Amino acid sequence: MMRTIEVFLVIIIITAAFIISSFFAVLPQPRQVSPLNLRRLALTTLQTLDVNYDLSGTAFKSPNDPAWGGLQIALSACLPPNIVYNLTVYEVSSSGSQLYLSLQSISNAQSLGVSSDASSYLVASSNVTFSVVPEKIGERTGGGTLYILNCSDANGWWITGYTGQSLAGDLYKLLSPYFKTTIMLQNTAQLAKILNGTSIQGETLRNATVINTVGEAVPIPSGYYASSGVGYDATHSSYARYCYTLGTKVRTFNWTWVSIVGYPLYYVSNTGLFTGQNDQNTYGIYGMKCVGPAGLNAFLDGLDNKGYGDWRWDNGWKYDNDWITGSPGVVYLSSEALYYCNYYGIYPSPYQTSTRALPDSILTTYHLPQSSVTYIFNKVNNWIPGAVYRHIAAGDNKITGSLFALGLTRTPDIRLTGLGLLCAFKPRLYRSEYTASGTSRLVILQLGQVGGV
Amino acid sequence: MTGSTIDHLVSLMVFLGAILLFIGLFNQTIQTAILYQRHRSLATKCSDLLDNMLLNPGVPLDWGKSNCTPSGFGLQDPEFTQYRLSPFSLMRLMSSTGSPVYYPKTGLTYSNITMGFGNFLLVPYTEAISYSTAARLLGTNGTYGFQLTITPIVTVSISETQPKNPLKIAVKVTGTGFPLANAVVSYCFLTVSLTGGEGAYPAYTIKYGNASTDEKGSVLLEFAEVKDDKVCYAFIAYAHLSGLMGVGYHERVTSVKQYIVPFIDDLALRRVLIAHSYDVHYFGPPNAELSYNATFVLLTEDFTLREMPLESSTGKVNYGVGNPYGAVTIPTYNPGILIITYRKSAVEGGVVLMPWGMSSMAFPVTFGEDPIGKEWVATDIRQVLVNNIAYQAKLALWSLQGYQVIG
Repeated sequence: MMRTIEVFLVIIIITAAFIISSFFAVLPQPRQVSPLNLRRLALTTLQTLDVNYDLSGTAFKSPNDPAWGGLQIALSACLPPNIVYNLTVYEVSSSGSQLYLSLQSISNAQSLGVSSDASSYLVASSNVTFSVVPEKIGERTGGGTLYILNCSDANGWWITGYTGQSLAGDLYKLLSPYFKTTIMLQNTAQLAKILNGTSIQGETLRNATVINTVGEAVPIPSGYYASSGVGYDATHSSYARYCYTLGTKVRTFNWTWVSIVGYPLYYVSNTGLFTGQNDQNTYGIYGMKCVGPAGLNAFLDGLDNKGYGDWRWDNGWKYDNDWITGSPGVVYLSSEALYYCNYYGIYPSPYQTSTRALPDSILTTYHLPQSSVTYIFNKVNNWIPGAVYRHIAAGDNKITGSLFALGLTRTPDIRLTGLGLLCAFKPRLYRSEYTASGTSRLVILQLGQVGGV
Repeated sequence: MTGSTIDHLVSLMVFLGAILLFIGLFNQTIQTAILYQRHRSLATKCSDLLDNMLLNPGVPLDWGKSNCTPSGFGLQDPEFTQYRLSPFSLMRLMSSTGSPVYYPKTGLTYSNITMGFGNFLLVPYTEAISYSTAARLLGTNGTYGFQLTITPIVTVSISETQPKNPLKIAVKVTGTGFPLANAVVSYCFLTVSLTGGEGAYPAYTIKYGNASTDEKGSVLLEFAEVKDDKVCYAFIAYAHLSGLMGVGYHERVTSVKQYIVPFIDDLALRRVLIAHSYDVHYFGPPNAELSYNATFVLLTEDFTLREMPLESSTGKVNYGVGNPYGAVTIPTYNPGILIITYRKSAVEGGVVLMPWGMSSMAFPVTFGEDPIGKEWVATDIRQVLVNNIAYQAKLALWSLQGYQVIG
């Protein structure tokens, strides 16, 4: 009998243990187990209401303005019926002991229930202009001169719909804030001057950037730079020699040469020099001579300090590997370029058509190491649709000349040129203080759920 | 001695019985707790998965504007950040609500999002992204089932209250159960002219205007130029208030059996096929040739509608073999509405609409499996924007790995 009593005592103890453990092991309410993410809902509601800066506009209006009524209607209309809200707007104060001062509050319920969550959203006044001061390219590294070829005596090709001069103007507006000095070279004589190593207005010549705005053509100065052995190869009747000279100058002065569209250096142009009835590019653009693919090959030889000319006869004179570009078709901006689109606020279309992409074999052939290339477009197989190539001679560790080639099909988008250069140089932007007094207001939307368990 | 043995036996049996009972009770408590934990985990997964879908554009970025199968699933508009969805990626999601449509002249089956007569969106299965593909790309294949519904927040209901002299159209704008008072309504009123000889193309006249809703969210519009109840027209209205914007539409047609059906042909080329309705649904003889005249309108930044002319906008289509379909190319990737007026005879005709980009007609999207009957379904919602039209995205998620709901 004693054993049975003992067992009942044990049962009583275990029962007590179960009751006590059940008392402490409180299971949460179903709403807490599978909650609606009210914080995210609040944030996305605020973003929706601010789609056309309506919320920003209302937040700066006086409490009696009818816009608050509109905001309340919109808020009630866009939230599910079982959600209650409280929206409060705070002034962001930089003076005094209190950072946030409550200005206005709208709500559709006395309380927000047992559980609620909130999101904050900072809105800016439409009356405020936020200034951005860019760092000047060359401030830290030297150089910082931008030459834009705006040569009135050169014609363009593959810039259909534009002229070199109109593109030069747009490039000036886009890029001049980022460079210490920007100079528009108005004619080929001024181009000859900088090729001679003479500055135009006392600017720093070394480490400069030269943008060729006339597309597949390149302006050629008459006189010395068009003479035999410097700009003209009489043996092969080709102005590839001029392109070779350009390559050597780019290396000597550590320039960045920019080709904005198509096959780089395919023609040379000077309307004063090429005046013959056959001096046209076979498409009716006069004042230019076709150099063909030899131009780029010679330029790269000059950039890499190779000897000029590896000509061979193959149904016409061919230089090195002759035609080297490929046509990968639709190409996409690289992740780095997409990042800098947002940073600099330049938004070209993220995909383009490339029919003059350079092969990646040039990286090894001409000492343009992979590690120093800035890709503007993603590589497609072995083709590089757009990139900034930096030349580093064998056994050396410093850059001696760069080429930025955008092998896209016409017509050019100069925003890509701007974006590419900014990706390559990465000047910093110094933005004004965002939370300056009176220019920002903090909107907090608190949501609660009613009904159910 | 015997009494002691019996006492031992009874006590042992009672003890064992009590132990078994308590093991069961404790086990039940533990199972319930584990189940709650799993449900909590499912809710977290639901929130994460919804953000994963809405906050990344997928790979490639512009898969919505191409014919390719993406290698990464995401619905964000690649030109924006935050919760802004691509109207074209949404268009490529295979609808799980509408019945698929087979069009014999292309030999293809089309995903069907049709919002009543005359408002079509038919995307070929070859270009639509199926639920299984999306589940595979999201890494939920075999582990979770889901349904994504994206519905417009603002409803613009349009009804005809008087058919002629003047035509009166009532517009009612509501949110989720709350009227949008003082909302601005921008509308486009297109009337079809069926005049001309046999085989003539229908002509149309477009009128634009603005109005405001009253405190009940309603506005009544009058069109004195409509003096006959046989006049065919399409009415499109955009309503906006404090960042919320919605779309509504209404058509009146006189040829209800023989009409035009637009099919998306190629998203990359922006090509739309124009078919005779009898090729899709045959109502019996006589069948007649339809002549059509198409145009495209888009919503500008100042909330007004603007017409963009189309090339090869007119043509004729008929039912049966030997009568090819027509085609138009939409000139832009800006979302808008393709409006196709059609003429069967001098007295019968009509107009049909097709959104170019999901948002331009505020079409809803239902994508994935039906959650009804599933064991435990976690849901989460976000407010999203699709080309400035306010939508609510809701994800319902459940586990496919199976666990019992007890306790």
